[in-house]
Amino acid sequence: MPDEVGRLLRRRMGRRDLLKYTGMGVGVSAVLAACKQASSAGGLPSGSARPSISAEPGDLAVYDWAGYGDGSYYPKLEQANLWQAYQDQTDDTPQFTLFPDDDTGYTKVAAAAGGGVPFDIVHPCAYRFKDYVDLGVMQPWDTSQIPNYSQLNPQLEQFGNINGQQYFIVEDWGFIAPLYRADKVEPQEDSWSLLFDDRYAGKISWINTLEMLVIAGYLNNVSNPWEMTDDELNAQKEFLISKKPLVRVFWDQSYELFQDFKREDVYIGYAWPDAYAYAKGAGLDVVYMNPKEGRITWSCGMGLFNNTKNYYHAHDYVDSWSATKAAEFLVGSYYYGHANTHIDLSGVSPDIVKALSLDDLSILEPPNSNPESYIPRRQDYAEAWSEVKAA
Amino acid sequence: MASEQSGSRRVTAGLLSAPLLWLLLFFIVPVAFIALYSVGGIHILPTDPREMSFDAWHHFLFAHSVYLSLFWKSIRVSLTVSIVVVLLAYPIGYFLALCVKKRKYVLLLVIIAPFLTSYLLRVLAWKVILGDKGVINTALFELHLRSPDHPVSWLIYSQFAVMLVLAYVWIPFVALPIFVGLDGMDMSLLEAAGDLGASRFRTFLRVTLPLSAPGVAAAFIFVFVPTIGEFVTPQLVGGTRGFLFGNEVQDQFTRALDWQTGSVLAFFLLLVVGILMALFGRFTQVRAVQP
Amino acid sequence: MSDLAASRGANWTLRIFFVVLVLFLYLPLVVLLVFSFNKGDVTFPLEGFTTSWYRLAATNPELLRALERSAFVAIASSLITVVLGVLASYALVRRSFWGKPAFAALVFSPLVIPYLVFGISLLVLFTAFDRFLTVTMGTYIGLGLHAVTIGHVVVALPYTILVITPLLERLSISLEEAGHDLGASPWQTFWRVTFPLLYPALLSAFLIALTLSFDEYAIASFLAGSSPTWPVFLFAQLRVPSQLPELVAVSSVILLSSVFLVVIAEIGRRRSERKYAIEAL
Repeated sequence: MPDEVGRLLRRRMGRRDLLKYTGMGVGVSAVLAACKQASSAGGLPSGSARPSISAEPGDLAVYDWAGYGDGSYYPKLEQANLWQAYQDQTDDTPQFTLFPDDDTGYTKVAAAAGGGVPFDIVHPCAYRFKDYVDLGVMQPWDTSQIPNYSQLNPQLEQFGNINGQQYFIVEDWGFIAPLYRADKVEPQEDSWSLLFDDRYAGKISWINTLEMLVIAGYLNNVSNPWEMTDDELNAQKEFLISKKPLVRVFWDQSYELFQDFKREDVYIGYAWPDAYAYAKGAGLDVVYMNPKEGRITWSCGMGLFNNTKNYYHAHDYVDSWSATKAAEFLVGSYYYGHANTHIDLSGVSPDIVKALSLDDLSILEPPNSNPESYIPRRQDYAEAWSEVKAA
Repeated sequence: MASEQSGSRRVTAGLLSAPLLWLLLFFIVPVAFIALYSVGGIHILPTDPREMSFDAWHHFLFAHSVYLSLFWKSIRVSLTVSIVVVLLAYPIGYFLALCVKKRKYVLLLVIIAPFLTSYLLRVLAWKVILGDKGVINTALFELHLRSPDHPVSWLIYSQFAVMLVLAYVWIPFVALPIFVGLDGMDMSLLEAAGDLGASRFRTFLRVTLPLSAPGVAAAFIFVFVPTIGEFVTPQLVGGTRGFLFGNEVQDQFTRALDWQTGSVLAFFLLLVVGILMALFGRFTQVRAVQP
Repeated sequence: MSDLAASRGANWTLRIFFVVLVLFLYLPLVVLLVFSFNKGDVTFPLEGFTTSWYRLAATNPELLRALERSAFVAIASSLITVVLGVLASYALVRRSFWGKPAFAALVFSPLVIPYLVFGISLLVLFTAFDRFLTVTMGTYIGLGLHAVTIGHVVVALPYTILVITPLLERLSISLEEAGHDLGASPWQTFWRVTFPLLYPALLSAFLIALTLSFDEYAIASFLAGSSPTWPVFLFAQLRVPSQLPELVAVSSVILLSSVFLVVIAEIGRRRSERKYAIEAL
């Protein structure tokens, strides 16, 4: 149904469709397609009845990663694929504020939490979901207002279900794995140990977050790296400090890692799939490893702030993000996965599909991969990581 | 007479009130807040401790914390940068003030002009120049001085890169007070020294240099103080080794979510700077004030 | 006589040193200029000539908005700074009052606070104030351009005072007394006599505050909230692909116009200084 609505909005309407839809109860869709102005005053596609959207102020404030609609990676494509449908439906242009990483994003919201959070929607990753809910600034989504929700993978949506309520709509997922230049680097084995390989001193890049402690945990056979004891945490911290001289630079933005690969300042990196995509696009000979300890998988989702004045706008925005069009864009441009199960993968190179298991979502279950999990002792991890950086 | 005096006092009060109020509200109070925060008097984040205590200070100063050694590392880097900058900027100031007759100010403008480009983009340009396949290394490859497999890699993402870029940014800024100090110098002093038989070099050592000392000292402080808290340049070109105290403070506030420790570090920095300035104030006077 | 200060050998050495340093100073600018015409990204190898980045920059809404915000903050903060600077300078130069050295120390201390610490202090101030507002009145202001403007006024103030006070000192007080004797109120004396004479210093002060604010990153990075100023926007874009060459193009334009402005201001300042110096004799 949502695909058909999408088609209508793009005016690819044939005679058979016209007949088909005028036969439908309210005939809302035909009115929509015919008079776009009228649609902004009210009248929305199927779903429960709801108040006119023009009662809301608009200018949806989205707090998100770069490249997820603000146009910093693909100026025209991001809009066209991720939120054009939203704009067509609500006549509103979202306003983006960017955060470089989850920790910085969370800090800003936490700081504003006692006052008022100036955003409507936030897009953090699953291991932060509970932190946001605990702040008391979120409200659950009304999934009946999101037509595309039915297409989303329920397994992934489980991650967004906190305390029995759907606080986050999981949209994108992907991997974390070592990326390396096949023409310059020969790993001794397919393992995370490559990030700590003495042979490539000065050519390695780590991510600038405490997740490095978790990686060290996996490498050193800690039973649960997401909930380490004091001793385990200290051991990982010391390990990272001892290996830090091998590292050239910590990256904040995925694109930075790619730029360093391109400038040949770095041959090995802790990477997300999009860095792999850019590197391949630039003609570099790179491999996105599947280490024996397992890749880490992340999933991120949209959350709704409870002081938002754009309740229905937000739902429409998420609906736009949940569509197959958005999904295919993420897969093709960033090599990320998307929660939408109706994606047409024929447009994606089969190598990529295989390398990133895009057609087989069982990859997301352990032991095939290690999903990012909530870190109860986040403050302690953060302190340990600060000390690694300062050492 | 009395009404004139009180009227005059009212005028003074009127003049003072706006700047005083602004500085009190937006300078003194925020700094006081930071000091309070560092001992738990204020707490904003859910993870902040709720009671007042000196624990955070104790941990920072006495518990062999890495932050203190990071601070000394930053002091060392700042000191090096400041000395290098003053050494390089002095000849420029000297040259423009004393050796150039015409077009002094034009040349000065030439030195200052790069300042008008965005600082961040100038740093980015250095990334391009210093990288493993950047301008310098490519030149070295072309000249066959190094093979393409062994670029000079300590140029970027290193303490060297941080110091180079900081020096680059500060030299024009520092040449200015040195120039001003030398420009106002009485040339007859040099003549007199020459007449008394001193060589030009000796004149420089015994006359010019001491006279320019206040300007040089001011220039040194001009660089040293901001550099201790520098966090932008290290973030862009410092890599893992160029990580400085300013970066740590920034991290505490933006990602580590520990505003109390961050306040301790920030206020400590301020105290150190304050002490330095107080010491420095013994040697110079602020010229604008006539009590 | 320049040969007093250096022998011929030393003179030549200094000259060469000067030239080398100028080359060093301009090397990154040349690199930037080259890349503003490069077809690809701001990394080697070069990929071909194009002027499209200049065109794109002129039509990029986010970029233009960031520039606008910075212009607004710069102008607003500079105006406020100059007003406060005049008041403070006047008090320091023409008036005696109890606590003058302390006031002077206060007014110059923003010169020495690291912007990192100051930005953070303001962040804490505004956040704490918001908490207070929410609890008492149920509203909040949040961070944003107002916060950045306030911060910039504080740090620019000492510079303006440093520029205004020398000229104020030099202006003969007898001019003001004459105005007073002729029956003008202090206000009128200020506007009709002092202000026109002070004008060059005010303009310099304004321009200094303007340049300081426009390129200021550290403080703005903590306070800009969801409305990035130009440097904050720039920093965020340094690490993402598409808009970087446009930013480089914009910066080349800014550099040229700033040079132009400074040259004009300098000529203007020296011309009026000569004029008023003669008058003040």
